[in-house]
Amino acid sequence: MSLDLIFWIVCFVMGLGLVAFTFYQMLCLLDLEADFLNIYEAASQINSVVLPEFILQGVLCAIFLLTWHWFMFLVAAPVALYHVMLYVNGKHLVDVTEIFRNLNQYKKLRYYKLGAYMFLLIVVLTRLTLSAFHYVRNGDDLVHLF
Amino acid sequence: MKAMGTENPGHPNFPVRPSATPFASAPPPVTPFSSSGPVASEGNSFRAALPAAPQGMTPYSSFGSAVGQDASGYRPSPPARFNDPSVSSVPTSFVPPTGASFQQFPTPQFPSTAQAPPARGPPVGQPPLQPPASQVPFRPQSSIPPVSMGSPPPSVNFPTGVYQSDSSFPGARPNFPPSFPSAGSSYPAARATLQQPMPGYATNQAAVPQASPVPSAFPTQPGSYMPLPTSLSPFSAQQGSYFPAPPAAALQSRDQMQHPGSIPPVGGIQSLMEDFSSLFLTSMPGSIEPGLDSMVLPRPLDGDVEPKSFVETFPLNCNPRYLRLTTTAIPNSQSLVSRWHLPLGAVVCPLAEAPEGEEVPVVNFASSGIVRCKRCRTYVNPYVTFTDAGRKWRCNLCSLLNDVPGDYYAHLDAAGQRIDLDERPELTKGSVEFVAPTEYMVRPPMPPLYFFLIDVSVSAVRSGMIEVVAQTIKSCLDQLPGFPRTQIGFITYDSTIHFYNMKSSLTQPQMMVVSDLDDIFVPLPDDLLVNLSESRTVVETFLDSLPSMFQDNLNIESAFGPSLKAAFMVMNQLGGKLLIFQNTLPSLGVGRLRLRGDDFRLYGTDKEHALRLPEDPFYKQMAADLTKYQIGVNIYAFSDKYTDIASLGTLAKYTGGQVYYYPSFQSAVHGEKLRHELARDLTRETAWEAVMRIRCGKGVRFTSYHGNFMLRSTDLLALPAVDCDKAYAVQLTLEETLLTTQTVYFQVALLYTASCGERRIRVHTLAAPVVSDLGEMYRQADTGAIVSLFSRLAIEKTLAHKLEDARNSVQQRIVKALREYRNLYAVQHRLGARMIYPDSLKFLPLYGLSLCKSIPLRGGYADAQLDERCAAGFTMMALPVKKLLKLLYPSLIRVDEYLLKPSSQVDFENIMKRLTLIGESLDSRGLYIYDDGFRFILWFGRMLSPDISRNLLGTDFAAELSKVILSEHDNEMSRRLMGILKKLRESDPSYYLLPCLVRQGEQPREGLLLLANLVEDPIGGTNGYLDWILQIHRQVQQIA
Repeated sequence: MSLDLIFWIVCFVMGLGLVAFTFYQMLCLLDLEADFLNIYEAASQINSVVLPEFILQGVLCAIFLLTWHWFMFLVAAPVALYHVMLYVNGKHLVDVTEIFRNLNQYKKLRYYKLGAYMFLLIVVLTRLTLSAFHYVRNGDDLVHLF
Repeated sequence: MKAMGTENPGHPNFPVRPSATPFASAPPPVTPFSSSGPVASEGNSFRAALPAAPQGMTPYSSFGSAVGQDASGYRPSPPARFNDPSVSSVPTSFVPPTGASFQQFPTPQFPSTAQAPPARGPPVGQPPLQPPASQVPFRPQSSIPPVSMGSPPPSVNFPTGVYQSDSSFPGARPNFPPSFPSAGSSYPAARATLQQPMPGYATNQAAVPQASPVPSAFPTQPGSYMPLPTSLSPFSAQQGSYFPAPPAAALQSRDQMQHPGSIPPVGGIQSLMEDFSSLFLTSMPGSIEPGLDSMVLPRPLDGDVEPKSFVETFPLNCNPRYLRLTTTAIPNSQSLVSRWHLPLGAVVCPLAEAPEGEEVPVVNFASSGIVRCKRCRTYVNPYVTFTDAGRKWRCNLCSLLNDVPGDYYAHLDAAGQRIDLDERPELTKGSVEFVAPTEYMVRPPMPPLYFFLIDVSVSAVRSGMIEVVAQTIKSCLDQLPGFPRTQIGFITYDSTIHFYNMKSSLTQPQMMVVSDLDDIFVPLPDDLLVNLSESRTVVETFLDSLPSMFQDNLNIESAFGPSLKAAFMVMNQLGGKLLIFQNTLPSLGVGRLRLRGDDFRLYGTDKEHALRLPEDPFYKQMAADLTKYQIGVNIYAFSDKYTDIASLGTLAKYTGGQVYYYPSFQSAVHGEKLRHELARDLTRETAWEAVMRIRCGKGVRFTSYHGNFMLRSTDLLALPAVDCDKAYAVQLTLEETLLTTQTVYFQVALLYTASCGERRIRVHTLAAPVVSDLGEMYRQADTGAIVSLFSRLAIEKTLAHKLEDARNSVQQRIVKALREYRNLYAVQHRLGARMIYPDSLKFLPLYGLSLCKSIPLRGGYADAQLDERCAAGFTMMALPVKKLLKLLYPSLIRVDEYLLKPSSQVDFENIMKRLTLIGESLDSRGLYIYDDGFRFILWFGRMLSPDISRNLLGTDFAAELSKVILSEHDNEMSRRLMGILKKLRESDPSYYLLPCLVRQGEQPREGLLLLANLVEDPIGGTNGYLDWILQIHRQVQQIA
């Protein structure tokens, strides 16, 4: 298999992961708003995936940089920078005591992030399809493999 | 009502229009807002001569409602055509021309509604007609004999001017603006009734025609500059020359400026009335001085005045001590809300102390269960209506028809009222307490539990704090609520944590020391928390030995975080109240804090607010956990050095507790204060494991909550331990663009465990009229509630922004509100350089100023210590309205004359006359008491007679006063002074007012203690009251 294809598959999986993390946080917030979750559970559930999400996103961003995918890096970098900023200021976690006061802000933030990740995912998916297409078309590669 | 002068509502512009200014003189085009109604109807309104008061009245009230109901047709009764507001024909029977009936008009339909709820079916649109007769009995006012008022006041046009809008005619408007829909219209009117007893009225009337020399309220005032509006007509004439006003306006006297002690502005009666109060802020030609004497500015020298008329219009509402709306006229549309610029909301003090005889009745629905609406879960209250022969009831919040449970069924009488109404406090009282059955418990009701976490490091020992605390706790053991279930426990800590086994079988408490701070464990599973009545002797032995146990302790460390965790582990089975006595900066283990101190370089930068936030997330997390397990924390902080109250106080903030701060505590000086406040904290009635929710009618929603608590879901306040000294502020938003109901209902429900072990629900219900008129909203504003919300918003703002931003936002909102108000009237009235404001908000600018000068918001780095600032912030976030207003505008009274007078001749009330908080009030020959509700400051004038000082201070009279402690000496004067202080303290037991003595000229103490608190003086670059008013006025005019 071509390296390129593998690379894009990995990126796709990571992108999916990011979307999933964010979506999960959104769900928690919505549940909280609808009173299906209490603040303590909601906060701990959200906070438990914040750092994994940050790390995953950071890794993805780093991969893009290291593999010289400039465009993809530029797409991912702002979010990564934002994450770094949040983390440095100690504001990355949801504040359980003020969660209701900031609920809308949290939700908005996650909507935007979800949008950004979706965009990233779409771009990755396109690249993945393209490289898969290339891969399939250059059938001789296939032959070489066997 | 004690002093007329300060009661805002209505009295000054009492609606009398002299015949001299006939209505016609107000040119019709000037009636901008209102529909054509007013003018046309005017004639009509006159022609009805109306002899018998009661008769006149009935149609009236129905009219009121009819108008209000608009098309809803809920009262299709007599003057049916009134349903269309714009129709101006007034039924002949309708307008009473005499003063007497005029007075009666107001008598609202509401009381009667209230009395006979079923009959009327509030907003619901029920057809039942109210028998007119039933109204009469409820109106004491109607018995006032008709007094001839001279010329029939044209202002009788109110029913018409009514619709829609406020002051339709310049000056023509009676102060009780009937301007709108039902409830609204009846309300203001009612207030007029209340205020002005007829006789007085007549007198005034008599006085006026001659324009008799009314004694000017401010004699000193030279006529040369725009004087007080209260003054005579000559003055008015003079004014006329500066402000060429339309003929109608020329005569008017804007009498609103009330001044304490001033005579009710008689002059005002003669002339045209305005609907607002105003100040003249123009300079005389050729003079630089502002044309305003600062002494005429409004001052709340009578303290907080609750909007009384509202209470009387809605007698079924809960008392304002429990719930106060920022305006008792709820706007009906979002556009109206956006023009109101002041906070729209309420201040709730669910457990406020009721005076003797007004306690909240307890209701036990043992068999039937608590009656609540199926859909919105509203508790049954006086505003629900019973229909269908008593088998159904209609919820007043969501208007769902509910079944009446079998056990709760009662027949309806002819008027549609339940026959058992008298035995049902929940149907007649706005505040009631239900005994909650087991469905309202997630676990058996907890016993009252007090846990003490005491710092025993060297500084605590040296300050003597431990001794005072131990003694106080011991003396309170008998009065702790909830005997015999009360539980108690102790932990002390320095660099290690000390647990005490107080098992009842022991004779001596056993101390266990845990020094592993990283991995805290509780050495004993039980017996750290014991039942007080069983282990009483052990607890007493412990408290006796506590001070001596640590008297030689030299440990300077403080393992605050770990011991807090330990206390949490001990308590989390039950919950309860955790009292923390902290004397130093937490220095060991988790939650240790840095001396981040008060870095002056941070002030004015974007990082400034971080100083006021908890440094370590541990504190927020811990607070959340504590709340989760129903533990309320009260912090007692004592250090003279920086202890990071911002971090420590967070624990109290999110657990519904409070922060007591005693800077530089010395038991000899502050011991008494700590003793009283701790005793109060331990013995006051406390509601345990409480949650509070506020419900309100359709279309309105509470969105933000401000105070010390944690939100558990969007609208549920978790309050592990709540008591009478805590108030919460909430803000409202309109969910629908237009409210169609006439009345909005609010219901506060506090579910809690009483100390006796009963689960209870305290329910406060309040109805407020919906209005479509901005002017009415302003008229019905409640300054106290507004200021309370303002201060909370401002303090919250300091947690995310600079102090200056917080102050500016207060000022901006006041400016915007006044500008909007000005715009309301700018069209019809030549306002000129006058500053106008609704009478209800006359103190708002002053309170705004003093809020900006209050400790949490004042100045910058040098103006208040960081700890002090934070502590004051936490305290103010929880203060009830009255207490807050007292703090913002403290009382200053002069006592030397009283002390010198021969005994028992002076009336105590007499000397309690509050002075304005301005440097000039202080006479160097006097002795003054400054009382802000938290402490007394006794100011000794430089030229105070030495006799007084000697008598009061004994041998210390020449010493430096900072070291002198005021105590009673064996002479009359001293006893009297102590008597005054005692009386003042009794008026509000929530804090102990410790006297601080200061002598004139004793700097810097004098400046810190007193001069900085004279809010009307310009201090250190801040505005004085007059400048502030001028500044606000300028800003109001800028865009206006």
